[in-house]
Amino acid sequence: MAFEFELPDVGEGIAEGEIVAWHVSPGDTVEEDQVMADVETDKAVVDLPAPVTGTLLDLHAEEGEMVPVGDVVATIDVDGDGEVTEETPSEDTATEEVAATETAADSEPDQDALEASTGDGRVFAPPNVRRLAREEGVDITTVEGTGPSGRITESDVRAAANGEEQTTTSAVTPRDDGDTATQSTSETTTATTQTTVETADRDQTLATPATRKIAEEEGIDLDTVPTDKTRDGKAFVEEEDIRAFLEAEEASAETSAGADTATTSAGVETATPTPQEVTTEPYRGVRRTIGQQMEESKYTAPHVTHHDTADVSELVETRDELKARAEAEGITMTYMPFVIKAIVAALKEYPMLNSELDEEAEEIQYKHYYNIGIAVATDAGLMVPVVKDADDKGMLQLSSEVNELASKARNREVSPDELQGSTFSITNFGAFGGEYATPIINYPETAILGLGEIKQRPVVEDGEVVAKHTLPLSLTIDHRVIDGAEAAQFCNTVMEYLENPTLLLLE
Amino acid sequence: MVVGDITSSTDVLVIGGGPGGYVAAIRAGQLDLDVTLVEMDAYGGTCLNRGCIPSKAMISASDIAHDATQAEEMGIYADPAVDLQGMVDWKDQLVTRLTKGVESLSERAGAHLIEGRAEFASPGRARIVASGEGQGSESIEFDNAIIATGSRPIEVPGFEFDGERILASEHALSLDSVPESMVVVGGGYIGMELATVYQKLGCDVTIVEMLDSPLPQYGSDITDVVHERAEELGIDFHFGQRASEWEEDGDGLVVRTEDEDGNLTAFDAEKCLVAVGREPVTDTLNLDAVDVETDDNGCIVTDGQTRTTEETIFAVGDVAGEPMLAHKAFKEGEVAAEVVAGEPSALDHQAVPAAVFTDPEIGTVGMTEAEAEEAGFDPITGQMPLRASGRALSLNEKEGFVRVVADGESGFILGAQIVGPEASELVAELTLAIEMGATLEDVAQTIHVHPTLSEAVHEAVKGAKGESIHY
Ligand SMILES: Cc1cc2nc3c(=O)[nH]c(=O)nc-3n(C[C@H](O)[C@H](O)[C@H](O)COP(=O)(O)OP(=O)(O)OC[C@H]3O[C@@H](n4cnc5c(N)ncnc54)[C@H](O)[C@@H]3O)c2cc1C
Repeated sequence: MAFEFELPDVGEGIAEGEIVAWHVSPGDTVEEDQVMADVETDKAVVDLPAPVTGTLLDLHAEEGEMVPVGDVVATIDVDGDGEVTEETPSEDTATEEVAATETAADSEPDQDALEASTGDGRVFAPPNVRRLAREEGVDITTVEGTGPSGRITESDVRAAANGEEQTTTSAVTPRDDGDTATQSTSETTTATTQTTVETADRDQTLATPATRKIAEEEGIDLDTVPTDKTRDGKAFVEEEDIRAFLEAEEASAETSAGADTATTSAGVETATPTPQEVTTEPYRGVRRTIGQQMEESKYTAPHVTHHDTADVSELVETRDELKARAEAEGITMTYMPFVIKAIVAALKEYPMLNSELDEEAEEIQYKHYYNIGIAVATDAGLMVPVVKDADDKGMLQLSSEVNELASKARNREVSPDELQGSTFSITNFGAFGGEYATPIINYPETAILGLGEIKQRPVVEDGEVVAKHTLPLSLTIDHRVIDGAEAAQFCNTVMEYLENPTLLLLE
Repeated sequence: MVVGDITSSTDVLVIGGGPGGYVAAIRAGQLDLDVTLVEMDAYGGTCLNRGCIPSKAMISASDIAHDATQAEEMGIYADPAVDLQGMVDWKDQLVTRLTKGVESLSERAGAHLIEGRAEFASPGRARIVASGEGQGSESIEFDNAIIATGSRPIEVPGFEFDGERILASEHALSLDSVPESMVVVGGGYIGMELATVYQKLGCDVTIVEMLDSPLPQYGSDITDVVHERAEELGIDFHFGQRASEWEEDGDGLVVRTEDEDGNLTAFDAEKCLVAVGREPVTDTLNLDAVDVETDDNGCIVTDGQTRTTEETIFAVGDVAGEPMLAHKAFKEGEVAAEVVAGEPSALDHQAVPAAVFTDPEIGTVGMTEAEAEEAGFDPITGQMPLRASGRALSLNEKEGFVRVVADGESGFILGAQIVGPEASELVAELTLAIEMGATLEDVAQTIHVHPTLSEAVHEAVKGAKGESIHY
C-alpha cells in the first residue's frame, strides 16, 4: 500500500512552503520521523519529517518549488506492494471542473471567445476581482476561492498573485531563471578541476552577514566555498572556511604558475556578472514575507518619523561597569537591555505607543503587556524575534534573551512562535553605522524605535563644543493613532531614562 | 496616396458611429487617446436610428393604443384613433434628440468626428471617402483602428428591399400609415416585435417562418407564452414555410411560400416585411488592404480582447459576431478602447443578457437548466408563475414566470429565464447576481419592494431553495 504524503501545515497556519532541499530520493528507505526535506515557510525553515516508514516511491515537488499545504509531495510505499491508497478525496466539485475550462480572457482569436464567457467558463468572482486578476496577471481559473460558497475574493487573487509562479500569458516579462548565473558557475567548476583547489558548486549557502561581507570583500562566491558544516540541512559557511579556501587558492596559484589566471580566480569570475547581464532570484520565502509586511505597513499606516539624540555618556559608563560583572556570568551585556527597559517605562507612561488599530472594528487596542520585537538582520533578510513580557525581566535575563534570539534568527533556528506577538519593536540600524533612519513600523504595531550608532559626537555644552557619547534615535509612529506631540513626549521619556540610567533602578 | 490627399494622424481610428463605435470613441477619449470617429450615415448607428430605440418607441406607442381597448374589465371603454404619421414623428424626434446626444458626448470626450466612409489603405492608414463622391479623399494614419461597422438586414433572394412593398425593419419603423395587412417573413425577435406593433395598430399580420416555432432560440415553455398571446392578438402563424417569390397585386402584393414538400401557399397583403436575420457589414471597409480575417458568416474574427488577426486593429459590435445586441457592442467598445490604451481589459463577463420586447417580454441571462447540466453543474431551479404575483395581477397580467437556475451544490446563480411584463428590466438583477458570483441565499436575503414584479424574482430564488412564501 502506498501512502500519499500531503504537505502538512509545518508552521502555524501557513498556506504553502518552499521545498528548499530534499534529503531523500526515490528508492530510499525512509523511517518515520526521519527528516525528508527542508521546507521554507514565510516564517522560517523547518524540517519535514516522514509520516510513515517505508520505501520512497516518488517525489512530487522539485527543490525550489512552492507547494500549497495539502498537496501531495511524496509517495511512500508502506508495505511493499506499491498500491496507491485513495488518501486524497477526489470528489470533483463543479467549481473545480469549470475552473479548468478556459475563460474568454484567454486570447485566442476565436469566435468562441464570447461563447466561452457566457457558457461553460463560469468563474465565481465579482467583476472587480476578475479585473484585479487581469491586472496582477493571475489566471483566475486557477484561484481557489475563500468567499461564501467558495467565491473568489480580492484577497484570494492577491494571495495568488503573491504566491504563484506567474502562470498567465499576459503582461509577464520573460524571466531569466538564473540560467546564466548557474551556467557560469558550472563552467568555473570545470575550469577549477584542472587545479588542485577544491571548490563547491551549490545553489544556496547560508552564512552570517559578517561572513557574507568578508566573502564580498574578497570577491568570493560563497556557493563555491567548500564546507562540511550545515544548518537546517543547508551548507553553512563561516569565516574560517573562506580563509581556508583563499589560502588553498593562493597556494595553487603559486604551484601551477603559468596556468591560466582565469582558472585560478574561479570564484571571482562567477560572482561578477558582465555589465549587461541581469541575474534574477525568486522573490519568495522570508524575502517575500518581509516585502509584503513592509508594503502592508507602509501603505496602511501613515508613517511619521521623529528624530532626536540622547546624551548617553552615563549609560556608556554604567554599561561598562555592568559588562564585566555580566561577563562573569557568561553574558555579554549590550545596550539593548537598557533600551528595552527605557522603552517599557516610557510605554507605561504613553500606552498609545503600545497599541494596535483594529481597522475593521474601528477600535484602538491598548496592550497591557510589553513584548518587544528586536529587528535582526539575517542572511535571508530581516526577522523580528520577540522578547516577551519584557517588563517582568531583569537586565541580565533581557541581555541573554536578546542575544540568544538574535543568534537563533541569524542561524535560522528561531521558531515561528518566537517571531510573533510583539507589541512594540526596536531596530538597531546603528549596528551597521549611520545616524538616523526612517524605520518602517512592524505592522499592526503603531510605533518602532530605531537606534543609531553610539559614538562620540560634538555636543555643545555651556557654549563649548565637547565630545560626548550620543545615541541618535528615530521613532516612527502610525500617525492615524499617535500624534507628533505624543511621539516627541515618548521619545523624551526614553531619552530621560537613557541619559540617567540610574532611573531605571526604579523600574 | 493620391495627389491632393490630405493626411492627418490619430491614435485611434474608430470606424462606425453605432453603439460599438461611439462607446469606443468616448472611452478612448476619456483615456486621453487622440481619437477620430468616422460615420458614413448617422451617429447612433442601427440602434438609435433604425433599431432598438425606434422599435421600442413604436412598441410603447402601439401598446398605449391597444391597451386602452382592452380595459373594459377595468371599466375603461375606448376606441383610440391612431395617426401613424404622428407616431413616427414623435419617434423621429426622440431619435434626433438621442443621436445629437451621442454626437455631443463623443465630442465632449475629445473625439474628432468625421462624416464619410472609412476604408483601409494599409494596416496603418485609412482613406475617408466623403459620402457620395469617390474623390477629394482624405487619408488618416492611425496607430490602432476599431472597426464598428455593424450589420444590415439579410435579403432573401427575390425579395430585394424597395421600401414600398418589400420592407426591411427600418422601413417598417417609418411608414406613413398603418397598412391593412402585412406578411412578415421571419419569426425572429425583430419580426415578432414589429408584427406585434402592427397587429396592435389594427393591421392584419401573418407571420411565415421556416422553422416550427417563433423565436426558435428560446425554449418552448417561454415561447409558448408569447406565441399564444400573439395568436390572441390575431397574428396568423404559418410554420415550415419558406418565402420563395412575390408579385405585385394592385397596390399590394402576393407572397408565395413553399413548404418542405414543395407545396406552395399564397398570401395576399399590402406590405411584406422581411426580417430573417442580420449580416455583418465589412464590404464598406476594403478589408483586403489589411490582414483582418472573417469567419464563415462574414463576421470579423476577434480574441477575448476584441483584437482581430491584425495586431493593431480591433472589431466590436455586430460586425464581430453574435450575439448582435447593442449592449454587447457597448461592452466590446469599452474593452477595445481600454486595451488600446494599454489597460488589462478583457471580455470576461460571465453572461450577456438578452431581451425580446414582445407581448409579454422575454428576458434571459446565463444558463438554462440543460446548459448548466452540460457544463457539469448539478443544477436546481426555482420558478414563480406571475399569476401568483400581486403586482402582475394589478397590471392585468396573468401569464409568464420567472425561473432561476443555480448550482445545487454551492447555490451559485447560473442563469434565469423570464417571460412576462418588464422581463427586460427584471433580468438585470439576476445578471448582476451572476456577475457577482452571488448565491441563491444572497438574493433570498435581499429585501425587494412590494408590490413589484421584482418580488417574483425573489420568490423564484426562494423557490429554488424550497422556501417560497407566496407560492
Ligand atoms: C429593428 C431592430 C431592433 C433592435 N432591437 C434591439 C434591442 O432591443 N436590443 C438590442 O440590444 N439590440 C437591438 N438591435 C440590434 C442593435 O441595433 C445592434 O446590435 C447594434 O446597433 C449594433 O451596434 P454596432 O455599433 O455594432 O453597429 P451599428 O449600430 O449597425 O452601427 C454601425 C455604423 O457603422 C457605419 N458604417 C459602416 N461602415 C462604415 C464605414 N466603412 N465607414 C464609416 N461608417 C461605417 C454605419 O453607417 C452604422 O451607423 C435591434 C436591431 C434592429 C434592426
